Amino acid sequence: MKSRILAAAGAIALATATITGCSAGGAGSSGSDEITFMFRGNDAEKEAYAAAITQFEKDNDVKVKIIMTTADEYSTKLKAAITGKQIPDVFYVDPGSVQAYVKSGIIKDITKEVEASADLDNIWAYGIDSYRFDGKIMGQGDIYAMPKDIGPFSFGYNKSMFEAAGIPLPDADKPYTWDEFLDVATQLTKDTNGDGTLDQWGTGLNVQWNLQSFVWSNGGDWLNEDHTKVTVDTPEFAEALQFFADMSNVAKVTPSTSDAQTLDTYQRWMQGEIGFFPVGPWDVPTYEKLDFDWDLIPYPVGATGETATWTGTLGIAVSESSKNADLATKLAIYLSTDETAQQSLVDAGVQIPNLKDMADSWVTASTLPPANKQEFLDIANDYGRPLPANTTYSAEWYDELFKNIQPVLDGKQSAADYLAEVQPRMQELLDKANADAGIG
Amino acid sequence: MSTTLRRSRLHRREHLVAAAFIAIPVLGFLIFTAYPLLFSFYASFTKWNGLSDPVFNGLDNYTEMFADPYFWKAMGNTVFMMIGIPIGLVLSLLLALALNRKMRGTTFFRTVYYVPVISSLAAVAILWQWAYNGDFGLINQVLAMFGIDGPNWLQNAETAKPAIVIMAVWKGIGFSMLLYLAALQSVPRHLYEAAAIDGANAVQQFRHITIPMLSPVTFFLVVTSIIGGAQIFIEINIMTPTGGPEFSTASIVWYIWQKAFNYLQMGYATAMSVVLGLLVFVITAIQFQINRRFQFSID
Repeated sequence: MKSRILAAAGAIALATATITGCSAGGAGSSGSDEITFMFRGNDAEKEAYAAAITQFEKDNDVKVKIIMTTADEYSTKLKAAITGKQIPDVFYVDPGSVQAYVKSGIIKDITKEVEASADLDNIWAYGIDSYRFDGKIMGQGDIYAMPKDIGPFSFGYNKSMFEAAGIPLPDADKPYTWDEFLDVATQLTKDTNGDGTLDQWGTGLNVQWNLQSFVWSNGGDWLNEDHTKVTVDTPEFAEALQFFADMSNVAKVTPSTSDAQTLDTYQRWMQGEIGFFPVGPWDVPTYEKLDFDWDLIPYPVGATGETATWTGTLGIAVSESSKNADLATKLAIYLSTDETAQQSLVDAGVQIPNLKDMADSWVTASTLPPANKQEFLDIANDYGRPLPANTTYSAEWYDELFKNIQPVLDGKQSAADYLAEVQPRMQELLDKANADAGIG
Repeated sequence: MSTTLRRSRLHRREHLVAAAFIAIPVLGFLIFTAYPLLFSFYASFTKWNGLSDPVFNGLDNYTEMFADPYFWKAMGNTVFMMIGIPIGLVLSLLLALALNRKMRGTTFFRTVYYVPVISSLAAVAILWQWAYNGDFGLINQVLAMFGIDGPNWLQNAETAKPAIVIMAVWKGIGFSMLLYLAALQSVPRHLYEAAAIDGANAVQQFRHITIPMLSPVTFFLVVTSIIGGAQIFIEINIMTPTGGPEFSTASIVWYIWQKAFNYLQMGYATAMSVVLGLLVFVITAIQFQINRRFQFSID
């Protein structure tokens, strides 16, 4: 049945091409005064970009064709466009793809144009550095994309719950130690209505998005400095993963032992049943509507005494094969740094401003929660790190860690045993990725 | 002479028109089926990241595949999830028998069982993901009424695969039921009358008339379900986006997709697709062979 539909679609496509006599058209080979912009996002983002792009068209006397997809489809469609040599002039890339795109000659080095026309001092260094690549190491060298946004992944707490329990509020400047954190989480885990079952918990964290903070603040990491060795089999790493698993299995401050699913704890947090929960800027519009008070704090700290978390980002790149590279580059820089465009995105609540001066006034001007917006900026400025897979050619080695981690989370296997077992497999995949990237 | 000339010109025009009509599907087949098929066969012998040009590397992808434990695990998962096929066939036949009787509300029930078939698979997968949720899910809430503490279905290596099988059976049952229903209604009445005169009871009639008369439909369903089952992907990707706990729900197509689009190993992914395609072809050919013998024995 599928093949019949495909054949029919093929026949129709062919017929259309014949009728319109336009077989060569498409994204890459558009006329000289048209550039294409492919991106993904929600309606608010689309609206904000559409307005910004109309302005850009007027200022530069150019036509911008917008191709928008859903988040799920984006990467598959972009790859199909690349394979078919119909690469859009301007499109989103995630930092994890930059190496592969650079090596394959898909995206353009825009260092000169960026340095000439953008005020780099006013843009988060993290945002620009995420798209720097010197042929070996990410984070230094030439610029291959402009940040569309950066997403500092912060930690939140339910203020109302603290007040009801009579626990002193956490200090935004002095993070909890792990012990203090566990102590507070234990106090928050209780049966509030006296029916014999727990209905309020200290926390509930998803391993894939929250383990990083615990590992880093304990002095562990995924990779060595030049990204050639997987270092998950260190005692610091094992201790952090064990602490993470023990929150559920030993201290029992999370909803249920076998439960690592975000959906559950996300909904419980929204219902006011969870004390501590992560908050990204993209969550803020939803969390603004919560019927309890909440605010941001730094993540609890392990052995190093320094709090740590990651910062997400997405970039806007220019196609190497663009026939209109100058305008395309101009558009990428404009979308990343234009104040009006940024303002409408910030107003839509989907991100923090890319421009530092704008962010400073946003922190003081906005009255909506969270009160401690400064935490987002501190992460962006001081201590946010890239996700480990963002700095390598492929994420396969990184995903390997999570593939078989469930027994550790369930308390059936010790973190140290598991990590010793998984390290060689991760190392093998990293070696393969580095070889593919031509890095030895 | 002029008339013959005119006629032949007329013919030529008809031929041209006919050729034009035929050309569209033929070209469509060549461009959208034959060429990709041949190209993917070639690509399976290359190292290719899907971005730059493929580089020939002989049998490397195939030797890597046979040593790749995740390839075998994904194959195993795919085969395991096919246990839904016989279950679905038996259930849909029973349902068709039930709804083939004259009673009130059959139209209503036929519609109810058919609704999942026309619903979007993505939407259905999301709904079932909610239903399987360990804490808030409908299924565990119902189980709790009977005092059973249900598992966290999709987060548990033992229950994740059966959970997906149950959903797939539910989704596909209406389609098989409808085909069985149509087949049941086309069984000639006089066969049953003759059998009744010969003294055959209901069970014997079912065994010796109904089942053989339904065998073409059964054959069709088995062949198409195995082909479809080998390609299970959307349910997996939505309900267990990371391939399930301990890789327990990763199907072969899901693994191919992951390698091709997320891990920049288009060449390797293509090699796996070629193996999958060959397997499906061989299994289908065997089924046709068996079916031919089976049909002969009825005659």
